Amino acid sequence: MHRLYLVPTLLINVVIIFIPAVLTIALAFYRWDGIGMPVFVGLANFRQLLADRVFWTALGNNVIWTVIFLTVPIAMGLLAATMMLVARRGSTFFQVVYFLPMVIATAITARVWQGMIYSPLSGIAGLITRAGFPVPNPLTQTSTALYGIAVVDLWHWWGFLCVIFFAALRQVPQEQIEAARIEGASFWQMLRYVLLPGIRPTITLMMIMTIIWSFLVFDFVYILTQGGPAFSSEVLSTLAYRSAFYDLAVGKAAAVAVVISLFGLATTAVYIRLQAKEFDQ
Amino acid sequence: MDRRTFLAGGLGASLVPLMGRFAFAAGKPVTWWYESATPEQQQAIADVLIGGFNAAHPDYSLTIDYRGSEFDKQMRVALLSGTGPDVVYTAGPSYVAPMARAGQLLALDDYAETFGWNKRILPVFLEMGKYDGKLYALPKTYETLGIFFNQTFFDKNGWKAPTTIAELEALADEALKAKLVPFAAGNANWRPANEHYVTIALNSIAGPDNVYKALTGELPWTAEPFVAAISKLNDWWQKGYFGPDYFSLTDEQAFALMANGKAATMPSGTWQFQRIPTYFPPVNSECGFVGFPSADGIGEPVYALGVGSTLSIAAVSQIPDGAAAAIDYVFSPEFYSKMNSVWQGEWNTPLVDLSAVQISNEVPALYAETMKTLADAVADNHYGYTSWTFLPPATDSQLVNGIEEVWLGRSTVADFLAQLDATFQQEKADGKVPAVPAR
Repeated sequence: MHRLYLVPTLLINVVIIFIPAVLTIALAFYRWDGIGMPVFVGLANFRQLLADRVFWTALGNNVIWTVIFLTVPIAMGLLAATMMLVARRGSTFFQVVYFLPMVIATAITARVWQGMIYSPLSGIAGLITRAGFPVPNPLTQTSTALYGIAVVDLWHWWGFLCVIFFAALRQVPQEQIEAARIEGASFWQMLRYVLLPGIRPTITLMMIMTIIWSFLVFDFVYILTQGGPAFSSEVLSTLAYRSAFYDLAVGKAAAVAVVISLFGLATTAVYIRLQAKEFDQ
Repeated sequence: MDRRTFLAGGLGASLVPLMGRFAFAAGKPVTWWYESATPEQQQAIADVLIGGFNAAHPDYSLTIDYRGSEFDKQMRVALLSGTGPDVVYTAGPSYVAPMARAGQLLALDDYAETFGWNKRILPVFLEMGKYDGKLYALPKTYETLGIFFNQTFFDKNGWKAPTTIAELEALADEALKAKLVPFAAGNANWRPANEHYVTIALNSIAGPDNVYKALTGELPWTAEPFVAAISKLNDWWQKGYFGPDYFSLTDEQAFALMANGKAATMPSGTWQFQRIPTYFPPVNSECGFVGFPSADGIGEPVYALGVGSTLSIAAVSQIPDGAAAAIDYVFSPEFYSKMNSVWQGEWNTPLVDLSAVQISNEVPALYAETMKTLADAVADNHYGYTSWTFLPPATDSQLVNGIEEVWLGRSTVADFLAQLDATFQQEKADGKVPAVPAR
């Protein structure tokens, strides 16, 4: 009887996740314009992807994005969370301030940065340029477009990590912290030997999720540059979107989606394995 | 207020939005999905289209549902699942052939006969809406590209509108010396704006005859005239004609720069006419517009023909006669006059006879003149081809993205054209190239 409780969630998962996932995988083996009848083409879509230099640019950009988000926001979040733990005064205020960008809609955040910060006409960059210190719009240079978008996403994201880490740090046993203080541990020693080991599961989970989310990144890239200029900020999800809705190559888009899923699956498998090890211990 | 009254009131209030479709609808409902529109544009649609049609056809009740900028994707999904509106509004002729082939659209030949569309609409546009010999779509609006400029600013500087490529380049060089942007342009809000300039280069430098040959498969896109055209466009980019902020500006910001005398000209489409009342009166200036000059041997300026959206009837429509009546209403001189008086550039239906059209005096005369020039160019078979109207989807997408690679030195003109040609030939083999009327 108790198994019936699983039915509603199972049903939702089957309808919303399983069936579309199976259909997407199946479509990766078809040529389809999204309008007429699909035609089976075997592995042609994957072969086409392998020969497509934009696909490799997009994959490379996803890897760069992952490296950035595995390091910068996690380091910033950890540092700020630890400092809030050490100096408790004002920590609630700073939590709210750091978390605020997270609750602003992506589209609004992106437009604010695009129009009020990066724009040479209406943004701070333009103001500085007019003052005699030329600041190019990073979104318009092929060498900086991806990093320009990453800065916007970092601004929006790191505060969330900070709050998560702060919540985890507060769970570290006070006795351990006190003992370290009595022993004369410095701030960095406290961080290295007491706090970080205390919140390792949280950090691991956040890193795993960061990898998965990094291969799904779409919103900021699409709003700010649509993958341009000249494909310099193209990522796999924008490539899939462009293929499906502009090139009307739904099969190729599905093949890109399958590649994205493979990275997510691999990362999930690693996470499950790590968790299983922890259970064993 | 007791709980029962509150619940009844709440239930009643929640049903109000649905009432319009059922209780208050006088005639049989005809549905139409539209893209995004500003409040003023929605008001114009409510007054001129819905109000005008419902008054003229009391048997029907037209409703417009605003679906946002992604409406074409919603439309494709809806038609695929056998639902959707009665009037099918597509993003251009390149979408018509696949939809017709999939049996999602109703052939309009009988309605064309009944309503006399064959006589009232320019034949070129009827050809563009055909698939497999049958008519499936009519263009909602047609447009062209040219050069906008600030006439008052030109007069002050002793400049004249260029009539040759050499004059255009001399003007642009002079503007550069004066620290002005020669071509106000930007793609920050609409990346496909890139194709406006590729279209200009292909038609004005390679020439419409060569573009026609390429569209019909007689000439590859790698042929010499196209190499010359894209090389010239790339030269202009490298010389800085498009300014330093192309990727940062929206087209509206670019228009403002041109109106304010910070840019010499703005090569763009006739849809920009709607911006004149906003940006020119405040600077006490007059706007000018001319066709883009052509290379030697091509002659008069070539007006590249663009159709950004088409109207069809869904094959599953329960009320196709009502949908046809709504489409017919859009092709009436009365509708043309009223709608273009309040909203220019989006409802320029291709009527053969514009003599009965009367546009408000508040609309710049330049707009009516330009539309008349374009209609004459089409009637005389002296027109060019916009990429967004005549290229199939993946080729067009390749053109939009690939030209950025050329401009930014990540690809060569030859590679760009080779990729364009390869994509085009593949789509041509798949039957995705839109109908191209014979010249």
